[in-house]
Amino acid sequence: MRIRTRSCVLAGLALWGAGCQLDFAPEPAAPVVHYALGPATTAVDEAGDPVVPLHVQEHIAGSLGMLFGTPSSPRYLLTEEWVDEGFDPNWPTAAADDQGSGEFSEDELARIKADNERDFRRELAAIEAGDFDAVRIPSWMPDLEQSWRDLLAGKPAEQRDDAFKGEAKALFVDYYPTLRESAEHFRQQCVHCHGVEGGGDGPTARFLNPRPRDYRPGIFKFTAQADKSVPRRADLYTILDEGVTGTAMPSFRRLSKAELHGLVDYVRLLSIRGMVERDLVTTYLSDDALPAEAVLESYASIWSKWKGADEKKTKYDGDVPAPSPESIERGRTLFMDAATGNCFSCHGEQGRGNGASAFTTSPETGEVVPAYKDDWGNVIIPRNLRQGIFRGGRRPIDIYYRIKNGINGTPMPAAVSSMTDADIWALVHYVGSLSSQPRTRAHRSAGHAPHDATDPQQSSPGQTSSGH
Amino acid sequence: MMRLIAFLLLIAVPILGVYTFVNAQEHNWWFPPAYSTFAPDIDWLFNFIMYMVAFTFIVTEVALAWFVWQYSAKRNDKGVFTHGSHKLEMIWTAIPAVALLVIAFTQMETFAKIKFASGFPTDGPYTREKPIAEVWASQFDWRFRYPGDDGVLGTVDDLESSFEFVVPVGVNVVFHLRARDVIHSWFVPEFRLKQDALPGHTIPVWFQATKEGSYDLVCAELCGWGHYKMAGRVRVVSAQEFDAYMAELKAKWFSNGKE
Repeated sequence: MRIRTRSCVLAGLALWGAGCQLDFAPEPAAPVVHYALGPATTAVDEAGDPVVPLHVQEHIAGSLGMLFGTPSSPRYLLTEEWVDEGFDPNWPTAAADDQGSGEFSEDELARIKADNERDFRRELAAIEAGDFDAVRIPSWMPDLEQSWRDLLAGKPAEQRDDAFKGEAKALFVDYYPTLRESAEHFRQQCVHCHGVEGGGDGPTARFLNPRPRDYRPGIFKFTAQADKSVPRRADLYTILDEGVTGTAMPSFRRLSKAELHGLVDYVRLLSIRGMVERDLVTTYLSDDALPAEAVLESYASIWSKWKGADEKKTKYDGDVPAPSPESIERGRTLFMDAATGNCFSCHGEQGRGNGASAFTTSPETGEVVPAYKDDWGNVIIPRNLRQGIFRGGRRPIDIYYRIKNGINGTPMPAAVSSMTDADIWALVHYVGSLSSQPRTRAHRSAGHAPHDATDPQQSSPGQTSSGH
Repeated sequence: MMRLIAFLLLIAVPILGVYTFVNAQEHNWWFPPAYSTFAPDIDWLFNFIMYMVAFTFIVTEVALAWFVWQYSAKRNDKGVFTHGSHKLEMIWTAIPAVALLVIAFTQMETFAKIKFASGFPTDGPYTREKPIAEVWASQFDWRFRYPGDDGVLGTVDDLESSFEFVVPVGVNVVFHLRARDVIHSWFVPEFRLKQDALPGHTIPVWFQATKEGSYDLVCAELCGWGHYKMAGRVRVVSAQEFDAYMAELKAKWFSNGKE
């Protein structure tokens, strides 16, 4: 007994000693990881043969690597025209004449700097106090860390005067992430749902309904864009800033403005990369060849869509009108009118998302099933307008955009051209009124809002289909 | 020798335990500062229970070490048979029972003040019937719905914000806590306020912040794979700043989309 106890104590001491002494071997250098090709490129035909021959797939992968780099070092290849006009999408903040694409207004740049002052307040305070060793730089900012080290190395500790402190502070206040840093940030915050290539196929994606967005087709649902155009930076920023209600996409406002803009840059890169990839496959399948000029042409033409996205924004100059009983009634008429709004056919007469045309009877089982799929191939049912959950935002202008432009990638169409702005606002008011349930004590004790009490139809799609 | 080692190991437990707690505050291992009106009461209760438990812990640990020292096999090679002591058992049942009753009665007033309907503020701008906002928890974020101009929640002029809940300082703030999908839990450590959010329930919650600033709002109920990132922020501002914020939120809400 005594010996066993002693050996236990000794073994414990030995383990503890080993734990203190153990020096883990350094990890071997990580191999270079490339973006994977998308399903359009790697598709196989019925016989199991690749639709795009393997050597062409290699060619596409190589071209994309040349244009967009790798996940650990993403960047845009600069075309000759861009160099001539001084446009550099790798660096969206700087003004056009100072190498960079200058995509931000002066106001937005000032807001980014103000937010950096908040985000880096500890670092700035440490610099002010002369405690340079206390400055800690987050792991996803390797380029900032490099600049910081270079700055410190260039000035011995005894020569660090106020001018140096000013220079050091400017490094943090003017911070804007490089694409490499944003990619690292993307891997920490977004990749587990959205995937390395932005294909919406990260490891947690399969637990989600709705599925995370696949950026590669360049289709984004909640934008202010007309004609199914690619989004503006501002559209993507809004999604990151506000989140998407009713989905697993949260608000990321806990990150700084510079970091959010950096993530927008990187999402845009992934989306452009996916669009170019699809375009190259289409070109190859139609021409049976893929010369270098075609690759560059596709790159330039898809970039020009993103560059010109601002022109596609839906502009509304008037005030947002307040709802009135008349406008709601007019909206209801339009909602139920098959020639103009025709909303009821999908959203249902009560707006419960159970309209007859959105559902069909399955020939195999005889069950009522959703009739539509979205552009990503997922089953889609119309929004239940009574729940008050609007993924693209519940603000009147958000619903205005949804009705006016439709929702890109879904069966929700743009408003017919005969609809005036007043018509659309009337619809906005009617849709808003559907989810309006004043929460007073009387209603709560009754268990539901009054218009539910007189509503004969509940949410089963099968019941409504008989109504049309 | 083994007797000494066992004795020292056992006596080290209360000594190191007490040392850790005494040093905790210096190393910033203790609670964040208390910034709500009832936070000091909660802290007092916490300390009250902690000192009670610490006393018992030290006494039992020291007793354990003493028994190991005193009754080691080497010195007492012959055991004594005993039927136990009825009196002793009565004592060690009665003392914890009394201690538990003391704890239960001591905390009752504070608990009632924070959680019971009767403890809710009835004066001031916000009451159980007229909350400042609805707080919606969902996988995996926080959203805040203010009633807008008509003062009634659930109508079209409600204003919504995500991530950041802005409230005035020095005012009793009542909000309705709701969950969209699964159970979540509102937790702001600085306010010492934790409340589960249940789907289908509207739970009134109140607090009064005593200091302006931004405080982390976290989810304290494991709500799914994204629980760790379900973060929000409560920003406590002056009355003027609150009015300005509401005006800003309203302008953003009824914006015509021009940038």
